[in-house]
Amino acid sequence: MNLALILDVAAGGLLLGGLYALIAVGLNLQYGLLRVLNVAHGEFLMLGGYLTYLLHVNAGMDPLVSLAVSVPVVFAAGVLVHTLLYRRLLRQERTREELEANSLLISFGLLFILQNAALLVFSADMRGYQYLDRPLRMLGTVFPTNRVVAFAVAAVVTALLMLFLRGTLTGAAVRALMQDPVGARLVGVRVPRIHALCFGLGAALAAVSGSLLSMLFELTPFVGLPYTITALVVIILGGLGSVGGSLLGGLILGVVEALGVYFTAPDLRMVISYGVLALVLVLRPYGLFNSMARRPGQAEGA
Amino acid sequence: MRNAIARRTFLKLAGGVTAATWLPRRASAQGPIRIGFTLSATGPYAVGAGITQRPNYDLWLDQVNAKGGLAVAGGGRRPIVFVEQDDRSELETIVRSYEKLVNDDKVDLVLPPWGTAANFAVAPITNKAGYPMIGPTVGSLKLKDLNLPYFYAILAQPDAMMLSLANFLKDVKRQQKLNKVAVIYVNDLFGLEHHTALMPLLKEGAFEVVEEKSYPLGVKDLTDVLKGCKAKGAEILIGLSYPPDTILMTTQAKAVDFNPPIFYTAVGTAFPFFRDRFKGSAEGVMGVGAWNPKVSFPGAKAYFDAHVAKTKKEPDRWASAFAYASLQIIEESVAKVGLDRAKIKAHIDATEFTTVAGPIKFAKGVNPATPGMVGQWQKGEFEVVWPPERATGKAIVPKPNWAD
Repeated sequence: MNLALILDVAAGGLLLGGLYALIAVGLNLQYGLLRVLNVAHGEFLMLGGYLTYLLHVNAGMDPLVSLAVSVPVVFAAGVLVHTLLYRRLLRQERTREELEANSLLISFGLLFILQNAALLVFSADMRGYQYLDRPLRMLGTVFPTNRVVAFAVAAVVTALLMLFLRGTLTGAAVRALMQDPVGARLVGVRVPRIHALCFGLGAALAAVSGSLLSMLFELTPFVGLPYTITALVVIILGGLGSVGGSLLGGLILGVVEALGVYFTAPDLRMVISYGVLALVLVLRPYGLFNSMARRPGQAEGA
Repeated sequence: MRNAIARRTFLKLAGGVTAATWLPRRASAQGPIRIGFTLSATGPYAVGAGITQRPNYDLWLDQVNAKGGLAVAGGGRRPIVFVEQDDRSELETIVRSYEKLVNDDKVDLVLPPWGTAANFAVAPITNKAGYPMIGPTVGSLKLKDLNLPYFYAILAQPDAMMLSLANFLKDVKRQQKLNKVAVIYVNDLFGLEHHTALMPLLKEGAFEVVEEKSYPLGVKDLTDVLKGCKAKGAEILIGLSYPPDTILMTTQAKAVDFNPPIFYTAVGTAFPFFRDRFKGSAEGVMGVGAWNPKVSFPGAKAYFDAHVAKTKKEPDRWASAFAYASLQIIEESVAKVGLDRAKIKAHIDATEFTTVAGPIKFAKGVNPATPGMVGQWQKGEFEVVWPPERATGKAIVPKPNWAD
């Protein structure tokens, strides 16, 4: 076995894993805090991708610069969606099961609306552009430049989010709400505002991922759902509600997929990722890195 | 459910009222000709359907009705209306819709849905009901096994397509000594059948196959596979691919600096999107096909211009023209024998048609009159470069380097 080649393949997996992580962190932020499983997450990703595409192709804006537009726009859209659809639902919350079921229905509806709206506006035609698609030679091998750039941006954004959660008062409020909603309310955390912020942030992170992915892959109105599913695998892998877990889960999934595919066949990619998922579910049902793992008896009161 | 029943009852009543007011006026009961089909407006098939079939159906409808309708043998011209719906890219919906079209709605004629799988699902239904159907987006040798006399595939099928590619490669080999081939194919009926057809031909041509790998539909990364091909010194890359992976393969080959003298990809290469997406880097890329407005067949250029005028986009350089040709065949058959579907079938079986895609003559449900062809992007046009008798341009080998 050629060690250099294996490292090369693993590095390729790491690059894609960085993007998986970014997508999953956004979804996990929403789920961890609001207990809202937003299956339309990939649709916000799709919107971010189309915004970047439009700005790049029509206005000649650099895709990375376009983040300055796509992120605030999708953040605002996320806050709006939260205000219009989820706020009332969260206020009326009776049991967690009811909330999860109802929010799932809402996000399915949202998925269809956003997808079909994109279909009306952009049609089903594939959209894409060339950006930094030249080889980048580093560490004695060759990588597509745009993948390395996308990974770097994803890493920076994830790091910023972690800093925000750990280093700011608002971030502390978010973490407090995740750990103990009742306690957080008691010490004066303004729950609706934090909820709106986190839903918006989740959507904005999806938009960043979408903008980055538009540099690598073609866009259609249907690109979102597969990423939502990958993100679900990642957050289950890393632990529901654990941002750090999602980060590591994404990277691990990327590397395991790349190596697994290299040693078997590209056809088996899905088998490999679901295999990893099944293994984790059997061995560590609350995820690999879930520091807040609830023990079965504790789950109901949380 | 209650709503659906109420709506159906309403439609029946409405239909009855309409018929009652309509019948006395025209004793022959001749309304418009109703042509039924489903196309995917949503879901994964929507991309292909929107490129290859939808524009041609719409264009044809406009053109025929502008002439006063479809000429029916012995009955003058009658306008056509489409009885259509979005099938959401779901095979169950497609099957149910066609069952309804032929059994309940009893439309006069049907047009096919998009894609090999959908046509496979529907063909037994339309065949049983005696509706002739010509599929412009069907590529599979298994078709013959189904033995469906009312179903026709108009594109060159995998055996013909790969034979043409192999003959082209042999010709190149004689002149330029290119010998090392890498074959990458999508793990799906399309990729598998083309792969099966191609490999014995490569062996027969004494090519050295240095890499042979499949990948799944929806693949997100082919860099490792392409790096492998490059490391093994492949001089000819053959990608038996679908549109998203065709784009991915090309992007990533460029990104890992893999520029073999022959770079061939399959479905999607002939889309104008490909040229617009890759600009200078499209130059010299070869693909399955092919058709362009420079071919010498009657009406080809006029069709191209009408397509652009109607849809504001160019037709793709492969199956679009064949989709339109299938409509020309229906139009001509109805003009010759009327709307009796058995007679239409007999006419299709017996006739060599002149279309924008060249002469077409069916034999046992396939169209051997159209050979497999190889196309190549050259200065913004997808030139037909093989076989020589169909060529609109000369192949450029080796392909130029990827543009910056």
